[in-house]
Amino acid sequence: MTKQLLYIIYGLALATGAGVYNYRGMSMASMNELRNVPKSIRDNPGAYRSHYGYRPRYFGGK
Amino acid sequence: MAAKAAPPQVRSLTCPNCGGAIELRGMAHTLNAVCVQCLSIIDTKSETLQIVQKFKAKERIQPLIPLGTRGKLHGDPYEVIGFQVRTITVDGTDYSWHEYLLFNPYKGFRYLSFYSGHWNDIKPLKGLPVITESGGRKAVNWLNTTYKHFQNATARTTYVMGEFPYQVRVGDEAAVDDYIAPPYMLSSETIPGEVTWSLGEYKTGADIWKAFNLPGSPPPAVGAYANEPSPHTGSAAKWFSIAVALWTLTFVLLVATALFSSNEKIFSTLYTYSENTPGEHSFVTPIFEVKGRPSNVEIELGTNLHQNWAYFNMALINEQTGQAWDFGREVSYYSGSDWSEGSASDTVRVPSVPAGRYYLRIEPEMDDHPTDFYTTGPRNVTYSVTIRRDVPTYWPFVIAFLLIPVPAIIAVIRSWAFEHVRWQESDYATTSGDSGDDDE
Repeated sequence: MTKQLLYIIYGLALATGAGVYNYRGMSMASMNELRNVPKSIRDNPGAYRSHYGYRPRYFGGK
Repeated sequence: MAAKAAPPQVRSLTCPNCGGAIELRGMAHTLNAVCVQCLSIIDTKSETLQIVQKFKAKERIQPLIPLGTRGKLHGDPYEVIGFQVRTITVDGTDYSWHEYLLFNPYKGFRYLSFYSGHWNDIKPLKGLPVITESGGRKAVNWLNTTYKHFQNATARTTYVMGEFPYQVRVGDEAAVDDYIAPPYMLSSETIPGEVTWSLGEYKTGADIWKAFNLPGSPPPAVGAYANEPSPHTGSAAKWFSIAVALWTLTFVLLVATALFSSNEKIFSTLYTYSENTPGEHSFVTPIFEVKGRPSNVEIELGTNLHQNWAYFNMALINEQTGQAWDFGREVSYYSGSDWSEGSASDTVRVPSVPAGRYYLRIEPEMDDHPTDFYTTGPRNVTYSVTIRRDVPTYWPFVIAFLLIPVPAIIAVIRSWAFEHVRWQESDYATTSGDSGDDDE
C-alpha cells in the first residue's frame, strides 16, 4: 500500500508539474535575464551589447 | 478474583536404555518421548516404558528454539515440547525442514515449521476442506478461500526430539499435499487409513524471535516460500488502474492547458535585412503590451532563407522596469536534390514574463564574405517576427505520459518475478513465463 501511495504521489507530481510548467509559463530556452537596462536603448539600439552577440556559429551545409 | 494459573509442572522419567532423565511437559497427552542421550523413542503409556525405536543420527541437530522454551502466540502462552526433522527427496536431492510441537494445556497443540529462514504457524484443522479446482489445477476451499495446489511429496521423519501426543518413529512416511493462498497454506498428511489437515500462516523469523524472546537474530530467509506474501504489494490490475487514473488526470490537465492558454498574438510584422546595408543594423520594434498573469512569450522568426544563414541577437525589454531577456537564434536552411538541413524558421519562448509594456531589440547578422561552398543564397533576408503570450507547451505532458506507467511496469514485473520464483518450487514449475497468479 505504501508503494502504491508513493506511486500516486509520483504520478501527481508529474501531472501537476506539467500543469504548473504551463501555468507559470516556464521555458527551457537558454537566455540571460538582465535588470535595469537603460531606457536610452530604445533611442540608441546600437549601444546595447548582447550577451549572445559573439557566439560561435555553425554555418551549415554538407 | 480467580487465582493465577500456575505454570505446568515438568514431570521426568528415566530412560530404560541409558538411565538418562527425560523431561515430560505434555502431561497426560504424551504418547512418545525421546531420550536425547541415547536416541531411544519410548512409549510413555506403557508400564515398563517400552523402547519402541532406537535410531541413529549422523549428527545431533539442535533446534533453533530449544525444547522447554515458552513463547506467546495469538496472545496465548505455548511451550516447545517436541521437535522433528522431516525430509522429502526430489530428483535425488533431500530437502529437510524442522517442525516444532507447541503445547498449551488449555489451548492444545500447534506447530511451527521452519525452512530456509521461512516459518509457518500451524494449527490442526477441525473441519474438512472441500476439494475443488482453480485454473485447471487441483485446489481446496476452506472458509470461502480457495487454496491452490502447490506440491505433493512423501515426507519422512528423519530426526526427533522431545515428546509427542502421537506415535512417532524415525522413518515414518506420509504423503503431503500443500495448497496455498498466501499467507496461508493448507496441508494434508495422508498415512494409511488417516488424513489430517492443518492450516499454516506464514511468519517471518523476526515474528518468531519476538514471540519466543529468543536471543540473537533469526536465520535470514532465502528464496520465496510457498505461502510467503509477496513483498511487491498489489496486483497488476491495481497498479495499472492507478496508472490509468494518473494518465486521465494528466490528459485533463493537458486539455485544460490547451483550452485556457490564451495563445494571444501581441505583435507581428515583417522586416528585411541586407548585410550590405551600411550603418547600424540593430533596431527596436514598436512597443507592445503583455497582459495577464506572468506567462511565457513566444517569439517566432519566419525567414525566406535558402542556402544561407542568419543570426538574430534579440532582447525582450520591459520599457518601464528595464528588465530584459537577452538571447540569440540562428536560422539556416540548406538543401540539395536529395537532402535538406536546418529550417527557415525558429521559435524561442521567454519564461514567466510579467505583464507590462515591452519592445524587442533585434540585431540581425549574416556572413558578408561567405567562404563556404554551400552558402550561395542571396545576402539579404526577409523575415517575420510574430510574438505570442501564454503559449501552451505540450512536451511536459508527453514526458508525464511516458513516465507515469514506468513504476507500475517495474512493480508488476517484480511481482511476476517473485511469483515465478515461488512457483518454480512447486509441482507446476515451468521453464517459460508461466509464473502463477499475482497475490492480492
